[in-house]
Amino acid sequence: MIRWTSRVKFLFLLPAVLWVLTFTIFPLGYSIYLSFHNVERQVVVSGREQVPVLDAAGNPVLRPDGKPRTRTEVQRELQTTFTWNQFANYARAFRDEQVWNAVRVTGTFVLVGVTTQILLGLALAWLFNRNIVARGFLRSIMILPIFATPIAIGYLFFTIFYEVGGPLSWTGVPWLSNPNWALTSVIIVDIWQWTPFCFLVFLAALQGIPDEMLESARLDTSSEWDLWRYVILPMLLPVIAIVLLLRLAEALKLFDIVATLTKGGPGIATQSYTYYAFNVGFKLNDFGYASAMAFLLLIVVMVIVTLFFRRLRQSYE
Amino acid sequence: MSEEAPRQDLVRRRSLADAWWSLVAIAVAMLFFFPIYWAVSTSLRRPADTFTVSGVGIPWVHFTPTLDNWLLEMSQPESFRAFTNSTVISLSAVTIALLLGLPAAYALARFKFFRVPNKDITVWFLSQRVLPPVATAVPFFIAFSTLELLDTRLALIVCTATFILPFVVVIVRQTFFDLPIELEEAALVDGASYLSAFLRVAVPLAMPAIAAAALIMFAFSWNEYLFAVILTIKGAATMPVHIAGGADTRGVQFWFVAVRSLIAMIPPVLLALLAQRYIVRGLTLGAVKG
Repeated sequence: MIRWTSRVKFLFLLPAVLWVLTFTIFPLGYSIYLSFHNVERQVVVSGREQVPVLDAAGNPVLRPDGKPRTRTEVQRELQTTFTWNQFANYARAFRDEQVWNAVRVTGTFVLVGVTTQILLGLALAWLFNRNIVARGFLRSIMILPIFATPIAIGYLFFTIFYEVGGPLSWTGVPWLSNPNWALTSVIIVDIWQWTPFCFLVFLAALQGIPDEMLESARLDTSSEWDLWRYVILPMLLPVIAIVLLLRLAEALKLFDIVATLTKGGPGIATQSYTYYAFNVGFKLNDFGYASAMAFLLLIVVMVIVTLFFRRLRQSYE
Repeated sequence: MSEEAPRQDLVRRRSLADAWWSLVAIAVAMLFFFPIYWAVSTSLRRPADTFTVSGVGIPWVHFTPTLDNWLLEMSQPESFRAFTNSTVISLSAVTIALLLGLPAAYALARFKFFRVPNKDITVWFLSQRVLPPVATAVPFFIAFSTLELLDTRLALIVCTATFILPFVVVIVRQTFFDLPIELEEAALVDGASYLSAFLRVAVPLAMPAIAAAALIMFAFSWNEYLFAVILTIKGAATMPVHIAGGADTRGVQFWFVAVRSLIAMIPPVLLALLAQRYIVRGLTLGAVKG
């Protein structure tokens, strides 16, 4: 009898575990450390030195008195200083109106976007589960948006939402120039990209329901609606929960589309949480504050994951 | 006969309904395809035609198509470099993820772990996927700038490999799990080591799933933007960074945007189509088998 408990198992597992630990736990720990500090990066003068001036051929240029001409070279160094500032970054986040704006934008985006994607996904799964023509081909077309590069999509939709001469300009809607419409446009792009994902998963789950079960349910009711309400939807519920979890976790990170389609604008009307944190960190170089903001987002994501955790764990029995 | 008639009628009515629903499905698919179609159409127009095209811009019907935009874009060394960078970075990251992830997937499918149960280890691997990238972006930036590895392919390869690792673990774990264990046990009885049972028996049998996982991971690496824009400037810039940079410095030139978007999108989309059968499992991180 083979023992599948040999210590060899650790040799199989450990490299991956160590890699992931190194490249996620370390950065996360460092991120927490930064979030309690005021991080300042500045270029400081670290020294001055007299160096001879050279001509084009590389020979020293001489002064009239025969000594080599010199110039002062200033040595600069990028210096990063960390100052412990307790909870100041976190307190600042709660007072920062831009943070609250970002929370509102991201919240609206997540609620409206994800809800629509799941409902539309269900409807499309129902549609494609019927005996329609060219189902495989149409299904393949629906896969395209999921894997299309989000950055490319952002710019592509910029050309589509373009208000003067774009293909949707006949509607007269201020797609990108009006704050509310701009957020709507961002949501539309996300719906375009991720409804197919919900649809694909639901369709797979739907086709996994045994035919006999549906046949016997059909004997009890002739109404398609009742069949869905009492038989199919309850069976899809675990799958819907997984899709919901994945979409929530993903949508909360909203960055690419905003960075390309609207650049957070007009004003800060579509500045998502991640986009704002990114700007604070990498445009304003305020690493401490950006880390605190990122960590707050991490807490929110962890709460959501925990809510779904039992469900998720069951899928890996 | 008289009893059969209404039933046949019912069957015919249903297929008529399905014909109508087929039309709806076709309309939906066209709607979802429109943005991609529009990119193709824009990329084939002369710049002057960008905003003046009539109708839905069908080539030859509404305008005379030209390949000038494509040729001009492809003759730029920056485009070529970005494409190469993306390819090298994605391939390397996928290779690392496979080297680390396959044994881990095998361990989770076959061996029993006691102190932490197998499924908790699996879920732990998955949790990388829900981690907001912006939380690890700052430390990575500081670390790589201290190591003077900013704007190198290596920096991005390391980050990318980390965040695609869960895919191979969950997709292939399930496949290993579904393989008949007897084959490996027979090999072990014959004196093979665990390593050769894994390499010579399990891996070849799981090849389709491994290939699909590799394709999906490649697509995700290719599309990644946040780390790419933080860690690269020019020399190691990937396609997404290249697209964003071009649009920012020259203003949005729609015809180039269309060409670049298509060049960026074609590889991941094609690969994903090849891996269709595993997409549901891959995208739900193995939670839905599909």
